[in-house]
Amino acid sequence: MTPTPRAPHAARRGGSPSSAAGSASSSAAPARLDVRGLLREAEVRPLRIAMSIGAGTMALGSAIGLAAVAAWLIAEAAQMPSPAALGIAAVAVRFFGIARGVFRYLERLVSHDTALSGVVALRTRTYDRVAQSDASRVLSLKRGDIVARMGGDIDAMGDAVVRSIIPLGVAATVGLIAVAITTACLPIAGLALAVCLTAAAMLGGALTWRSAKLAADAGTEAAARVSTATLEAIEGAIENRMWGRREEALAELRAADLDAEHASELAARPAAWAAAVIQASQGVALVFALWLAVTAAHHAGLPPTTAAVVALLPLSAFEAVSAVPAAVVQAFRSAAAARRVLAVTPEVDGDSREGERDQDGGDSRGAAADTATSLAVVSGDLTLRLDGLSAAWPEMTPTKPVTTALSPGGALGIVGRSGIGKTTLLLTVAGVLPPTAGSVTVGGAPVTKATLGHTIAITPEDAHIFGTTILENLRVARGDVTRSEAVDALDAVGLAPWLASLQAGLDTILGAGSLTVSGGERRRLLLVRALLSPAPVHLIDEPAEHLDADGIDALRSLVLAMKAAGKSIVIVTHDLGILDVVDEVVSLDVD
Amino acid sequence: MKPIDPRLIARIGPARRYVAVTAALGFLTAFTILIQALLVARMLAVVLAPSALTEDGLGPLGRIVPLDARNLAKGLPLLVAVVVARVVIVWVQERLAHRAGTKVISELREAVVDHAASMGPRWLATGKGTEVVTTVTRGLDGLLPYFVRYLPQLMLAATVTPLMFVVVLGLDRRSALIVALTVPLVPLFMILVGLETRRRSQKHLDAMERLGARTLDLIAGVPTLRALGRERGPAARVRDLGNAARKATMGSLRIAFMSGFVLELITTLSVALVAVTLGFRMIQGGVSIETALAVLVLAPEVYLPLRNVGTHFHASADGMAAADGALSLLDQEPVRVGTPGGRTVELEGLPLVFDSVSVATPDRTRLAPSGLTFTAAPGAITVLCGPNGEGKSTALLAIAGLLPPDSGAIFAGHGGAAVDLADADADSWAAQCAWVPQRPELGIEGRSLSLGQRQMVAYDRALTSGRSVFLLDEPTAHLDGAARERLVARLVKAAREGVTVIVATHDPLVIAAADLVVDVRATHTAVALGAGS
Repeated sequence: MTPTPRAPHAARRGGSPSSAAGSASSSAAPARLDVRGLLREAEVRPLRIAMSIGAGTMALGSAIGLAAVAAWLIAEAAQMPSPAALGIAAVAVRFFGIARGVFRYLERLVSHDTALSGVVALRTRTYDRVAQSDASRVLSLKRGDIVARMGGDIDAMGDAVVRSIIPLGVAATVGLIAVAITTACLPIAGLALAVCLTAAAMLGGALTWRSAKLAADAGTEAAARVSTATLEAIEGAIENRMWGRREEALAELRAADLDAEHASELAARPAAWAAAVIQASQGVALVFALWLAVTAAHHAGLPPTTAAVVALLPLSAFEAVSAVPAAVVQAFRSAAAARRVLAVTPEVDGDSREGERDQDGGDSRGAAADTATSLAVVSGDLTLRLDGLSAAWPEMTPTKPVTTALSPGGALGIVGRSGIGKTTLLLTVAGVLPPTAGSVTVGGAPVTKATLGHTIAITPEDAHIFGTTILENLRVARGDVTRSEAVDALDAVGLAPWLASLQAGLDTILGAGSLTVSGGERRRLLLVRALLSPAPVHLIDEPAEHLDADGIDALRSLVLAMKAAGKSIVIVTHDLGILDVVDEVVSLDVD
Repeated sequence: MKPIDPRLIARIGPARRYVAVTAALGFLTAFTILIQALLVARMLAVVLAPSALTEDGLGPLGRIVPLDARNLAKGLPLLVAVVVARVVIVWVQERLAHRAGTKVISELREAVVDHAASMGPRWLATGKGTEVVTTVTRGLDGLLPYFVRYLPQLMLAATVTPLMFVVVLGLDRRSALIVALTVPLVPLFMILVGLETRRRSQKHLDAMERLGARTLDLIAGVPTLRALGRERGPAARVRDLGNAARKATMGSLRIAFMSGFVLELITTLSVALVAVTLGFRMIQGGVSIETALAVLVLAPEVYLPLRNVGTHFHASADGMAAADGALSLLDQEPVRVGTPGGRTVELEGLPLVFDSVSVATPDRTRLAPSGLTFTAAPGAITVLCGPNGEGKSTALLAIAGLLPPDSGAIFAGHGGAAVDLADADADSWAAQCAWVPQRPELGIEGRSLSLGQRQMVAYDRALTSGRSVFLLDEPTAHLDGAARERLVARLVKAAREGVTVIVATHDPLVIAAADLVVDVRATHTAVALGAGS
């Protein structure tokens, strides 16, 4: 079986969303994510952000407080007062010395917790959106793509909180505090500090943004070329050697690397200027503060203690602003990740809002509603009718028209050679794709996307086996499958000996890193799901090139069991061995 | 993990130069910070002193920053000069760091790719190639933060911190004592907390990985759930799993952040203690205002690089791990076939003689092929047959000079004139063979082709190459009847023209056309094979 892709980072670089960007309507995810939109999506309460910024401000504010009070203390001590006069200042300096570490620790805890909750909310929401969106899209999503978007990319969106929003907030508030203290001492120096801090933040931030953009624009392409060249040189090493292309392959890598170096160089230039601007702003702030403070002390009667505070504050006031470039880079990355996530987060079908609202406690209610729907259908006429049905993906040759009827308990086989459109026809019967011509009805009502899973269920060829127990894997078909039902169903498709061989029985955990199931066992487990599904009509996409005798037996058992339950089944396959299993066979081959 | 990998310094020129230049810039930075602090102390002391300053509070350092810098008109221009110097140094450092970083990444990548291309078919077949591709692309890109952020701070920690300490020592011994007592606590506590974190977080990491895998598993199953109409329920499970993962993560972060806490606590509290001690000693007349100011400004600079090293360590850990992987590959021996620069031999018209050739399987439990002996004559079709896994493909690789036999030898020609492949130049040998594997790679242009199409292109290339030896691995496996017959006819024609054709196949059609059929068999290794034999 295919191992579950575990590393969410694996496809992160391959950022180009493979599915056509969803025309996100107003009911779906917002087309663009600004900060407020992101926080709303992530269900982050503003209070938590405020608490994080508050703690961060206290931490870096303590550094400023320490510098200011220490400057005052030294200046005061120079006036030779009694030791008692220094008492409070000495306590304050020590307090700030401890507070910085304590508040920084608190800030990190609160902000990480906030971000992680945000990631959980984002992931749940995106999961819901993807799961409930247009069925044709969901069934065609690539597994690696979903995992990369919902894994690494959503983590990157969460990083925006810890590494971007909060540092920027702290830089703003700490800057204000430093300016406020300086202004209270000497207004003109406050102004100078404000100008320098703003210049550092704004210019530094803008240059960094530019750098990040250049890196993304030129860098992505260069990185792709490097990846390709590396892949060619390593994976094709043997043939390259054979055909004398080894040097050529290495030369291509060298050229690609030069491209990448050039792209990196382009991006590095504004980044270096950003660092220089911040350093220069701090230097200018120091020069002005010293000049203004000393002059005011000499000529305007500014007390020496105040002058010391004004002159020395710039040395510690720029720490928060220095974090701006990293915060900007993170903002850029998170925004790119958010765009990729939005691209696979498509429009939601009409009734999904309800589902979103009751996701916390309403799971059982939702399940109850499911059952109600299917029960309502089960009681009516359940004849599946294909009337001149022809199916095709856009711009493909439609399949031969099919007209047939399948009453409850019937079994229909659809055969045809590879590529003729059997799976497409199956998806159309399921209501996932609209018919190119003709119609599909169950009990006279047309089949739609909404009936998928209720009236008609599908077992696609690459259906997923979850990394959980056998029982839970069967409960994927119906939530209330009992243990004895599960055992009976496994027996029905000939898996009883296999089950008996497992020590933990139904509680055996399947999937990557646990028990691996063989191809045959896997297919049969999927058939058991079909058997247990409450849907009265089940469609099975049987991909095997050739069914072996066991495979045919399993299908035969399934058909018998479905008949006994009064449910109908449609099987799509290459293999004509299916002929003696089903009641009727339709061939799609044009001859 | 070592802060600087010595193998990186030894192998990669730009890395060596960069470390040297960064160390030099570190000293320059230290020097400018020192001058800046002394200038601030000079200018501010005049205002703060209750009476006119008479003596020089900076002691011997006064020689660097003269007394008349106390005068704003003299001191400020100097300060401006220092500020300009610091801006230039920062800019130069950033530029150099980026350039060196990208150069090192490129060179390391090229070295690794070059090396990996010589690791041979066996190594590639293990899937290590794909791993290396990831390491040298995405992985090595993570080295940039290491070069741009971490390494410069490390250099500053090695230059600024000791220099500032020496200066503080020269200015005021008691303050230097506080610094001397606290600085060693920084690495000490970092290590202690780090060990505790590692001990505790392994458990959390395992839990996290399980939860993460289960979430991804649910996500990967979305289409399946949708097909069964069961997509609603799992959202709640995604949320529950996420919350459980969050709790586990926070549990380990609470410990992990302790190291940051200890670091900040030691560094800021030490500065606070220095300030308070200075204040009280000034009242007793023990310290002059100029000295106190200089120490007050310099004390935080002792700790700053240490703090920054800690901050940037984690950001660069991924890149360092990738570099470690890349350098380890460079230490592995590549596969050597033949003798580089050895004898060149014209294979045209010469029989290829297998003399009891055995090749061990990668796990070295079996020999496949085992003791293979046959002669493939020019102008004839030789078919290697036998069940899968017995060594047919391996035999073809050995003839092509891509894989050395573990025992036995392959000769070109008979008798005294025969040349052993082991003594020949394998490159020129391989250049006379046209080998088509079961799954040919055709480079970028081959990506859009199906396997069958790629095979057709590969056969065309081989059959029209004009080379003396054709080596084809299961050539008809994916062809239909007519195409099989056409291919066999072409092989017969090539053989009649004098080419040595060797085919690994089960196909009766090819076997029927063969001049010689060789049964290839494996055996279990009874005797341990020497690794390098």
